[in-house]
Amino acid sequence: MRVAEYIKCNRLYFDGGMGTMLQKAGLETGGLPEVYNIEHPDVVLDIHREYVKAGADVITANTFQASELKISSSGYTVEEIITAGVDLAKKSGAKYTAIDIGPLGQLMEPMGTMTFDEAYDVFKRQIVAGYKAGADIVLLETMSDLLEVKAAVLAVRENTDLPVFVTMTFQDDGRTFVGCDPKSAAITLSGLKVDALGVNCSLGPVELMSVIDELIKYSRVPVMVQPNAGLPSIENGNTVYTITADEFSDCMVKIAESGAAILGGCCGTTPEFISKMKRKTVDVPFILPEYERVTAVSSGTNTVIMDNGISVIGERINPTGKKKLKEKLREQDFGYLVGEALQQQKAGADILDVNCGLPEIDEAKTLANAVKEIQAAVNTPLQLDSSDRTAIEAGIRKYNGKPIINSVNGKQESMDDVFPIAQKYGAVVIGLCLDEGGIPETAEGRYKIAERIVKEAEKYDIPKEDIIIDCLVLTASAQQSLVIETINAIKLVKSRLGVKTVLGVSNVSFGLPARPILNSVFLSASFGAGLDSAIINPMSEEVMQSVRAFKVINNQDRDAVEYIENYSGYKTVSGSVNKNEGSGDVKAADVSGGDLKSMIIDGRKELVGTKTREMLKNTDPVSIIDGEFIPALDVVGERYEKGTVFLPQLIQSAEAVKSGFEVIKETMPKNSSGSDGSGKGKIVLATVEGDIHDIGKNIVRMLLENYGYDVIDLGKDVPIDKVVEAAVSNNVKLVGLSALMTTTVKNMKDTITALRSAGSNAKVVVGGAVLNEEYVEFVGADYYGRDARATVKVANEIFNNA
Amino acid sequence: MFDIKPDKNEILRYMGHSNQQVEDGIYNLIDECIEEIKSVIKFRYTYKIFDVQLGIRDDVSCIELLGTNVVFKGNDIYEHLRDCRKCAVMAVTLGIEVDKLIRTMQSEDMLKAFVLDSCATEFIEKYCDVVENEIRVMAQRERCGINFRFSPGYGDFPIETQRDIERILETIKRIGLTVTASSIMLPRKSVTAVIGFTKDVTLMPGKSSCDICSLRNECLFRKGGTTCARGRVYKV
Repeated sequence: MRVAEYIKCNRLYFDGGMGTMLQKAGLETGGLPEVYNIEHPDVVLDIHREYVKAGADVITANTFQASELKISSSGYTVEEIITAGVDLAKKSGAKYTAIDIGPLGQLMEPMGTMTFDEAYDVFKRQIVAGYKAGADIVLLETMSDLLEVKAAVLAVRENTDLPVFVTMTFQDDGRTFVGCDPKSAAITLSGLKVDALGVNCSLGPVELMSVIDELIKYSRVPVMVQPNAGLPSIENGNTVYTITADEFSDCMVKIAESGAAILGGCCGTTPEFISKMKRKTVDVPFILPEYERVTAVSSGTNTVIMDNGISVIGERINPTGKKKLKEKLREQDFGYLVGEALQQQKAGADILDVNCGLPEIDEAKTLANAVKEIQAAVNTPLQLDSSDRTAIEAGIRKYNGKPIINSVNGKQESMDDVFPIAQKYGAVVIGLCLDEGGIPETAEGRYKIAERIVKEAEKYDIPKEDIIIDCLVLTASAQQSLVIETINAIKLVKSRLGVKTVLGVSNVSFGLPARPILNSVFLSASFGAGLDSAIINPMSEEVMQSVRAFKVINNQDRDAVEYIENYSGYKTVSGSVNKNEGSGDVKAADVSGGDLKSMIIDGRKELVGTKTREMLKNTDPVSIIDGEFIPALDVVGERYEKGTVFLPQLIQSAEAVKSGFEVIKETMPKNSSGSDGSGKGKIVLATVEGDIHDIGKNIVRMLLENYGYDVIDLGKDVPIDKVVEAAVSNNVKLVGLSALMTTTVKNMKDTITALRSAGSNAKVVVGGAVLNEEYVEFVGADYYGRDARATVKVANEIFNNA
Repeated sequence: MFDIKPDKNEILRYMGHSNQQVEDGIYNLIDECIEEIKSVIKFRYTYKIFDVQLGIRDDVSCIELLGTNVVFKGNDIYEHLRDCRKCAVMAVTLGIEVDKLIRTMQSEDMLKAFVLDSCATEFIEKYCDVVENEIRVMAQRERCGINFRFSPGYGDFPIETQRDIERILETIKRIGLTVTASSIMLPRKSVTAVIGFTKDVTLMPGKSSCDICSLRNECLFRKGGTTCARGRVYKV
């Protein structure tokens, strides 16, 4: 029987630890265990055979770190090591053999340097080698990062027909090293349709109980458990494990009873552990527990269960009608999107909609990059919003977790496009109640479409809890009599279909005054009809008031904690409503006396914006920049050079100028290049390939921008050709490069060499902790930028702005 | 778990402070950042103790870590361990959430990001002291003292040794510490170090570590008349 069928009705037993046994057999610390497959095959085979004798159904090949990243130094290829390893596992006489794949040992972008596609390729090579060697199962184990796992699972699915089992490693705080919790793992991996999911390593069976319970509760597939032999502890400078085979096997009985279907051991376990575990659990009746049928979306570290109450989906990352966002998308500057995401999260959004649809840009590429940057900054799950199926697929492929897809509709073509993507990657899908005939006028008509969408989804094995219906809002100023039909449709969809619902409310008030009033009342009415989630602007206080109030009414905000936190200082002031006293805005009167220069010198960020706005009434922007900003920064810069102020004070003044610039940018008409019009010159900045320390470079960027330069910031770990391309295509006169490690100074040199040979005439200024004047010559640069201030001086010299 | 008391003067020094006047605003910000960093720290550490012997590789003297395939190269680590029969190799990290906080703060408030970064540096040093103290106790049991923490990249101890330490301590599996192809540790606020067991229970008399530091000529601390944490720790 194939293993995928076998586990549906039988408990499956894996083997136990390999590393500790190899060390007993002579493997030196830090040595590559996988080399034993070729150099000491008998040792490996003996261990496998002992586990078969102990009762293991599956033997895990000795291939844990046989990736090209880890074994390149061994003198053997990935294929040689894996083929030998799988052969030994098969030779042991086991019922099934698994190719074993551990984490790559590199963090994924943007926290680390590993790209999704690189991870995919590395895994693919291992997986294909194991497949060709005849393994029955791909086991991905000791995993921390769901995104890395996703790359591996897709590599299995797209290159083999093998079943894939995934176990994650949770620490004593109930999370993996990168912050993944069991709920998010169970929901995301179930969505990816792995064949089994679970937990291994790090902790013993006792400590893992709560993690296992959580996995069983939310997993749609069998749960696998391979604990260590208790907690590791350091004794005499060596790691030892603390429980006996008897204690271990007793705990495993409880774990089997709770519904774990696949059992085995990890570090510190031996054939004795497996043998005792099997003997004691073999008579425990086999059950596959019912999982919770909830509508859940996850990021890599956080899950929102929509059955627990109403959810807010933040709508602000959508370029429609937003000039600044459009501009940032065109420039591929994702820092702004990240800022919007952080703000919405802080304001109370549970989920964030991300839409990058602009006709003049590559939407698929942009959405994928936006997803990458935003998901590294916030922990709210994302909702991928596009009408283009390629964009949806590009985004979801690199999404860490289980997202919402926005959206599908009742047209057959739309469902044919979107459902296969949701099926493959796992997603909750928003279904819009419209079809070829448009939006039906009646609630009954919209319900019919919702029903069709849910039925069609079933064909793809997408259960109804993974569908959210949007009954669609019509505009009160145009079709007033139909507005109530939306509310009626929500009731029908909830009662007859039992699926979740969502609405984007702001359409209702289009063309009418005081839109927030209408929006929030309509939202309240919809919540009353059973609406589960709303796509709204969480920065809009009126709308959030309705949300927070309703959360008290439906008993979601227990003890009204959130409500009290937000409104304890609530006051109604002469017709206008204020959330709390003392907001950050400073009244113009407060700053009229002071002068802008000293505000900047003193780093009074909160005053500078207001003062700049006031001055703009009768001063042109260029005069403010040249007559106030820059002279003030020069004063602080000189003090910094003399050592009378230190870096935080320089940054403080720079932040102050930044807030002044933001006011200028808001009020100034854009010129064609999208710059703020100060036009001091264009500079490319990058932290070189291989280097990811970039806070220094970011401080330099801020100060350069303060002086009116257009900075094209390529970020960190920037490939050489990207620097060259940016410098040449923008024809810049100055390139700034930073490196913080002796190991990456070479990449700096190579980048500069490549710039020169590409014919760029740009001057190059370099900086970073390990650099000094002498390095300037070594790397072939023109200037040394010791700090942000020095770099500004270099720029001023080159652009004659001194 | 451990009561760490960060030293605000140290944090100021990481921020480049020597003797400038510091406003209350900065002090308040430091207090705020200490709390925020503290709330996201996931302190994890691991170490192992190895027998060492002096050896020769490629005609150059080196330190062999017995029972492993690792040798420590460079004059400075050789000097550090030449009189020791054992050494502890340690790895410490504050976890990835610290990186994330500092990273995301940069789009919001650069000053605060910079202060958070400096606070995290102080915390990692203090946590290293905790681990060092544990190692000191181990050494005392063997009637040994310990010398100071010596890290890859320091003096002529190759930075690439980070990768060897990652392997022999299994830091990826044990504490979630990875090393990139450029030998950068991630999470960023992480330290690896080698501590020698000395015959003498008191500290080994050593030279000020600034003398062997490759950055000594451009060091801003030295120009300001102070030293970095390493210089301070190593001064005997």
